[in-house]
Amino acid sequence: MAEDLVLDTAIRDWVLIPLSVVMVLIGILRYFVSKLMRSSNQVPDPKMIKEGQVVIRARNLRAAANFIPAKSFRSRRVYFSNEENGLLYVPKGQAQNAQAQMFSDPNMAMDMMKKNLSMIIPQTLTFAWVNFFFSGFVAAKIPFPLTQRFRSMLQNGIDLSTVDVSYVSSRSWYFLNLFGLRGLFSLILGEENATDDTQRMMQMSGFGFDPTRSLGAEKDSLDIVQHEWALPKFEQRAEAVLKKLVS
Amino acid sequence: MVSKTEEDQVNRLESQVENGGGGEWEYLCLVRKLKLRRSYNVLKYGLSILNDPKKRSAIGPEEWTLYEQVAAAAMDCQRLDLAKDYVKVLLEKFPESKRVGRLEAMLLEAMGLWEEAEKAYSSLLEDNELDPVIHKRRVAMAKAQGNISGAIEWLNKYLEIFMVDHDAWRELAEIYVSLQMYKQAAFCYEELILSQPTIPLYHLAYADVLYTLGGLENLHMAYKYYASTIDLTGGKHTRALFGICLCTSAIDQLTRGRNKDDKENLQLAPLSALALGKDYKQRAPNKVSMLASTLRSLKLSS
Repeated sequence: MAEDLVLDTAIRDWVLIPLSVVMVLIGILRYFVSKLMRSSNQVPDPKMIKEGQVVIRARNLRAAANFIPAKSFRSRRVYFSNEENGLLYVPKGQAQNAQAQMFSDPNMAMDMMKKNLSMIIPQTLTFAWVNFFFSGFVAAKIPFPLTQRFRSMLQNGIDLSTVDVSYVSSRSWYFLNLFGLRGLFSLILGEENATDDTQRMMQMSGFGFDPTRSLGAEKDSLDIVQHEWALPKFEQRAEAVLKKLVS
Repeated sequence: MVSKTEEDQVNRLESQVENGGGGEWEYLCLVRKLKLRRSYNVLKYGLSILNDPKKRSAIGPEEWTLYEQVAAAAMDCQRLDLAKDYVKVLLEKFPESKRVGRLEAMLLEAMGLWEEAEKAYSSLLEDNELDPVIHKRRVAMAKAQGNISGAIEWLNKYLEIFMVDHDAWRELAEIYVSLQMYKQAAFCYEELILSQPTIPLYHLAYADVLYTLGGLENLHMAYKYYASTIDLTGGKHTRALFGICLCTSAIDQLTRGRNKDDKENLQLAPLSALALGKDYKQRAPNKVSMLASTLRSLKLSS
């Protein structure tokens, strides 16, 4: 049944716009709060820095391996992946401990908790506020047609099953803003802002093992690399260049 | 390394400011961002901004960054009185700051009070183990005092932690070359080539070191790296062209009695000689005869 529901313009004035404004303001507030809370512990861990640099160096070695002579490449490879004291070698036992260590280290745990809280609490509060005040009516119409599958997601508060799926509730407007305001925030607040929820959520999944796992990955890829010295090719290219120059 | 557009921008701003066209603050910001060392200009323009209270208030909170920049430039130009004044101003404003502490230690170093500066740097490092600038200043101090082996030691320790800092590798390579420790210098240049393989400067330096080390294998490698430099610079690099000629003649000398069958094809030498001749004719026509006689002597020795 594709009948056109006429939506009151008052909905737009009193629901959509205030909701967006409130979310932008909360985002800005969170940004400043996170900046205030962050300035306390700035000491970087020496081991983390060294590991990060080792990874970059190993990556450079892999990328430009063909530019250095074979002997130097081999000696560097041994240096990195040597069984006893190679830079990238991580014994099995240690790899598991990394995450446990991260949780037991008080500073790190506090840091993570703070970041989590600053993300979860405003989201929860705003969501509850939206549900309380703005539920039970149709808020907007999506301009393109959708399938019936989206009904449960987009029409939470509306208990009529015959309304076209394009008519959504204000909860879906909230979610739209949540994911969509990221671009706006990077315009207003500059590149680095704590409101990047989606990015943070993606980071959370791969957080724990970052250093030790990347070392192991680098070691494996380094072991795979075949060295093929590119310099003879350069010699021929130089010949061509000079020929062109001289002629 | 600065990109071409940024270099053009800096030069343009510099000429603009020199001719009295304003834009000093932008110039200073750009120099600070690109970490260039134009101390004389920075000092001149920075002083003009800082001594004019109207311009100073126009900058607002960035004033303190400007103080730091001009203080460092003053130390570089040996205007220690100015540097001392600015450091004092910064100390009053930020009494417990690490950045100002670093500047203070730099002032001690500029005044030549090595012991105090060493103590200041060590205490700064205790608080903050991982400040690369302090490590590097310690190396610079050791080098300025003539303690080259100390500089090497500090630099190696720094590079154990921060192994991606290619400026540090370059500095280490140059120190090794000055001490004639060519094998170690070759290692450093290899690191540089690994991190930035498209910069011809590193290929050229590596080729020079290999050529100096000598030995047939090294000479062959040096030949190849000179060739890669020529390729990367489009054939215009005079030093690389000369390098090819010298390498060819050296290889010829070494393989003089050997079996001519497994001699590699060293085609580049005559080509580079021709290229050199063309270049000299264009740029230094009165030296063409000298060039011709040198090349002839190289060929004759084979």
